[in-house]
Amino acid sequence: MSSLPLAPCPSPLGRTPSQPAAFRRLRVRLARNGLRVALEAGRVRFFSVILTTLIVSGFTFGFSRYLFGQLAANNIPFKGAIVGSLFDLLFFTLGGMLIFSTGIILYASLYTSPEARYLLTTPARADHVFATRFQGAVAFSSWAFVALGVPVFVAYGLSAGVPWWFYALLPVFLLGYVLLPGSVSALVCLLLVRFMPRNRKQFLVIVGLIVLSLLTVWGVRTARAANRSIVTQGRELDDLIEQFDLVRSGAAPSHWMTRGVLAAARGDAEEALPPLALVWSNGLLLYVVAAATAKRLYRPGYDHLAGLGRGKKVFRESVLDRLMGALVFYLDRPTRVLVVKDFRTFRRDPTQWALLVVFGSLMLFGAGNYRNYMSADLAVMDKYAISLMNLGGTAVLLCAGLSRFVFPLISLEGRKFWILGLTPVSRDTILCGKFAFAATGSVLIAEVLILVSDVLLGLPPEAVAVHAAAVAVVALGLSALNVGLGAVLPNFRETDPSKVVVGFGGTVNMVIGLGYLLAVIALMVVPYHTAQLARATRSVDAAVSPLVYAGIPIGLALGGAAVVLPLRAGARALRGVEF
Amino acid sequence: MIEITTVTKRYGPKVAVKELSLSVPAGELFAFLGPNGAGKTTTIKMLCGLLFPTTGTVAVGGFDLAADGDRARALISYVPDQPFLYDKLTGREFLQFTADLYGMPPAKARDKTAEVIDLFHLDDFVDDLTERYSHGMRQRTVFAAALVHEPKLLIADEPTVGLDPKSVRELKTLLRQLAANGTTVFLSTHTLDIAEELADRIGIIDHGRLLGCGTLADLRKHASVDGNLEDLFLAITEEGARGAGRGASEDQAAASGAAREG
Repeated sequence: MSSLPLAPCPSPLGRTPSQPAAFRRLRVRLARNGLRVALEAGRVRFFSVILTTLIVSGFTFGFSRYLFGQLAANNIPFKGAIVGSLFDLLFFTLGGMLIFSTGIILYASLYTSPEARYLLTTPARADHVFATRFQGAVAFSSWAFVALGVPVFVAYGLSAGVPWWFYALLPVFLLGYVLLPGSVSALVCLLLVRFMPRNRKQFLVIVGLIVLSLLTVWGVRTARAANRSIVTQGRELDDLIEQFDLVRSGAAPSHWMTRGVLAAARGDAEEALPPLALVWSNGLLLYVVAAATAKRLYRPGYDHLAGLGRGKKVFRESVLDRLMGALVFYLDRPTRVLVVKDFRTFRRDPTQWALLVVFGSLMLFGAGNYRNYMSADLAVMDKYAISLMNLGGTAVLLCAGLSRFVFPLISLEGRKFWILGLTPVSRDTILCGKFAFAATGSVLIAEVLILVSDVLLGLPPEAVAVHAAAVAVVALGLSALNVGLGAVLPNFRETDPSKVVVGFGGTVNMVIGLGYLLAVIALMVVPYHTAQLARATRSVDAAVSPLVYAGIPIGLALGGAAVVLPLRAGARALRGVEF
Repeated sequence: MIEITTVTKRYGPKVAVKELSLSVPAGELFAFLGPNGAGKTTTIKMLCGLLFPTTGTVAVGGFDLAADGDRARALISYVPDQPFLYDKLTGREFLQFTADLYGMPPAKARDKTAEVIDLFHLDDFVDDLTERYSHGMRQRTVFAAALVHEPKLLIADEPTVGLDPKSVRELKTLLRQLAANGTTVFLSTHTLDIAEELADRIGIIDHGRLLGCGTLADLRKHASVDGNLEDLFLAITEEGARGAGRGASEDQAAASGAAREG
């Protein structure tokens, strides 16, 4: 065996050009090439993303304008303490959400992504790798914050009558605020990974329980205070506001934002700029602290995480699988087996159903609270408007969920199609199985959500029936569209379902799905709600005209077409595909 | 060039590498063999500085990977079995990024980029986005990027997977040339023919232990088998498995005895 050189080899480090410059160039090139590809190859997707963002921003603007109009109608000063408290709460909530979302994205991009693995084998400094991943994570998690925040504050500015420079400062405020929660989550992420105890699961369960307990205690106290304030017609409002003392303290960044934004709205530059400086300086300082921490802890943390090892998890059949099998009892056994196989894949991936649980809980919580407002005779918003929003939200969620999970099913079968291809099951049966799986799940979830929220809102039986019919048509039609178009426009090269979804086929499917659900709701539900709204505004007690139900048969026919046509096209395409 | 000293690496309760010691001098082509799960990839990850030993030290070019990792990594190129490329970069842009990352002066980076493009026949696709590359094209591009900054140590994990016979032949010639010019090549592979044909020395690892290390003649003597590398590999790993089984039984017996006495 030969001996090692006595002196270290000359290392090329320290020569030009610098690593930060290399990473800057990398980001510019990735952005430029990505944009070019989006414009050249995926114009439909690119413009549908822009259009969707504009629609969401427009809706947020309109809704905010309406709410600020309500403030004006109730003679609440736009630049006073109540609006200040609302802004405190808004910034605090958004900051909290940004901490979680940036933390999750950053964890994935620092510790589990192939890019991180590659960069860590190069002489790239740990803090440089961290910086480039941090910027990507913050941009990814915050674009929605900026896209939604700007319309809210533009609506506020237009309602409150603010100087022109308020609008110029707005993006500076919002971008500065993004840095703070991003840096906090980065620090937490780095420290947590580096010093995670060996028993990861136990540790995370304990931390989760503590956070959940604190949130529950705070939530219950706030809800009680809110109820007291409602039943006493606002006399106990102080009690409610006390629950948000932390948010309104001078040390809270959310309060700096509120102070700055309100001062800018008043046209007081001297009062507006110090909070802005506070936000930016603290954000940048925390970022530097996070980068310095990354320099010391990122690589050891990566090693620590790998060294923890993975516990052996045993996956068994669940009672839920048997329930799914029972729900599709009308299918033959091979198709039932396929349905249960798809369901098992779904339930073992929490990212698939977590959003559904969060949305469903929020919707039912909101509907439950509405009863308190009604019992206090505070008709803050019309229950028909809320139920229509619930219906729309559920339909959009179904559309997003089915697109994410059901549309890529056929594409993902492509690589392992020999498994199904060698079984004595026809391709039509495979397609029917996927439709049965999607339709059973989506109809069940959507009906439960809509029926419970309608009952909580105290809607009359005919409204509940109209909603139940509409949501069933939406769920069945969307299921068939996703299964059928998934077979007509498959992407057999891709193994990552999220990439299948954002491809050409996925975008077409999403756009058609959104158009379909809008058409069904417009035909089957909107006329009824418009009539009820007209009754409420005119204080007329007469029954609504039967004509409001005229769209229902058309909606049903549209639903029938949405089930039959895509499935037929999908079956034809699947029969012709060579795997 | 490589100095691994009594290195142990644990993943939780599992010992992936156990008291491994190995020296590889500059200019040697070293083949690292072992069954699946033997500890090859963990050893390679420690050589690249991606992971750190639980105990022991790993040094490359005289720099300890734990204490002076950035300097050590500047001497290394790693070609993994599943190469990473940025989907939205062209091959040429990836080569430029690699040269920048390793701090090459722009003029030299340009010359070396042109050289490796020619060497790996990337001309036809080097200006396409890498998301359109086949596995073979990706592998060639990653090899080009690995050599663009003239590393002192090239670590390659299953480098021939996905390459056509002509490319495999060219790669073998290249690896020998690199070693002849002073670059240390650390090759992990399951393709025993390539190891037999190319390697100056061969190390066989199983259950985290280095079971044998030396030239083909050394290994024949060690295993008392007069055959090709495949025969030697099977003989050494089977003997190693029996040894590991005995060791595990002894550990278990000792633990049971201790429990009874306790």
